[in-house]
Parts: sequence; C-alpha cells; structure tokens
Amino acid sequence: MGAFVAGNAKLAAVNITGSDAILLAHATFGVLATLSAVWVFVETLNAQEQNAQRIRRAAFAVAIFMAAAWIVGGYWYLHFYPVERIIILKGPWPFAHKLFMETKEHLVLMTLILSFYLPIATRDQLHASAAARRMVLSVAMLIVLTGLTIEGAGAVIDHGVKVALLRPSLTGRAK
Amino acid sequence: MTTDAVILGRSSAGFGMAAGITALFNTALACVKDAYRPLQNVMDSIAGNNWTTQGLADIILFVGLGLILSNIRTVQTIKPDHLILFLVAAVAVAGVGLFAWYGVF
Repeated sequence: MGAFVAGNAKLAAVNITGSDAILLAHATFGVLATLSAVWVFVETLNAQEQNAQRIRRAAFAVAIFMAAAWIVGGYWYLHFYPVERIIILKGPWPFAHKLFMETKEHLVLMTLILSFYLPIATRDQLHASAAARRMVLSVAMLIVLTGLTIEGAGAVIDHGVKVALLRPSLTGRAK
Repeated sequence: MTTDAVILGRSSAGFGMAAGITALFNTALACVKDAYRPLQNVMDSIAGNNWTTQGLADIILFVGLGLILSNIRTVQTIKPDHLILFLVAAVAVAGVGLFAWYGVF
C-alpha cells in the first residue's frame, strides 16, 4: 500500500481492490433492494389508483436490485470468498462461516424468489382489493426481514475475517 | 381505500403458492445436498458450483410452478388469507430450518 505525506501526518493511500469494490456493490444492492421493499410497503398502506404505477415501479426496483445483489455477490462468493473462508475457519469465529455464511447463502435465494414475486403481486388492483394489499404487504415485509437478516449475517462474516486476521498466530506477528 | 375484492389475481395466487413451495424446496435441497455428497457433486458439475445450480433450480421451479399453478382453478379458489399464511409460514419455517440445520450440523 502506498503512502503520502500531508503536513506532518503520514497517511496511507486509499487502496480499493476489485474484490472490495464487488463486495461493497453487493452490500449496496442488497440495501437498495431492502429499502425499495420498505417503499413498496409504505405505498401499499396508502394504496390508491394514483400511486398504483409507483408501487409497481418500486416492486420492479426490488427485483432488479435483488438480482444485481445476487449476481454480484455470487461472483464474489465464487471467486474471492474461498480465501476468506480459510481465514475464518482458522480464526476464533469459525461459526461466521459454518453457521452465518452457510445460512446466508441459502436464505438469499429465498429473498430473491420473493423479490421476483413482488412485481407479480403488485399487478393486482391494490386499491380495490384488501386481499391483494395484504399479500403485497406480507411479501414486502418478508423481503425486509430476510434482507436485514442477510445484511446482519454479512457483518458477522466480515467480523469473522477481521478477528482471525488480528490473531498473531495467523498473521505471524510476534506478541 | 375503496370497496374491497376478496380474491387474488390468477398470477398473484399461482406464483404466491409457487414462492412458498420454492422456499421449502430451497431449504430441503440445502439440507439434502449437505448430507448427501454425491448430490452435491452432481450439482457442482451442472453449473460449476452447487450453489449456482441451486439458485438456477429455484428460479426454474418458481417460474415453472407459477405458470402451472396460475392455470389451475383450485389454486384461485383458496382463500387469500390462507395463501398468505402459507407463504409466510413457508418462508419462516424454511429460514429457521436453514439456521437450525447449519447450527446443529
């Protein structure tokens, strides 16, 4: 990593790798999908003929953002995660992979399916059908809850790498 | 809000049920491939990685089942609240099931 001097302070230059960029894009798309699901939920609570098109667009955004999170995250998982998995398993938090990553990587597929279903459910006349509204509200809430769970699991996995790298035995640093 | 219809649209009902079934299938497949190595090897060979294969299988199942169920009259006669309950319960059971499976095994 390079360094530059600013005044009297020596600062490390920012070094963002391709792996970092992909991982951050994955998390960002996931957050955008979750926020879009919240948007669908709130709009549906006040469903009228006037906001029907907006609800459908928001639902479509959920599907697009979730698909992007899955594709980008999948690429990172297949190409970059194997190294991090080894680090996690040698560290003090092996459950970050064994429990949280294993659950996350399969739970995300459920959220993906729900995200693909949301635009279909919003095609009903929500302002005229309580049943359709309840379905959309339920699916949007499931996406929000599973989305937040997945984001939380991602944080645990990230911390699993961090605590492993901080161990002197793994990095080879003297005590 | 105006006067309310009490049924779901054809696609909404069919794909809603398909989503619930796919959620359960996803958890079942995750557990089975984890417990039965030959299946995982077959899934690895299909799309390069068993996880990729599972994702594609889920999407194919959801779309295929959704199209079929959307054209089955019985599905549209199911009470919407029952269908919503099924979907929510399926996702809850499937999600907790995944966590329990990897937590225990």
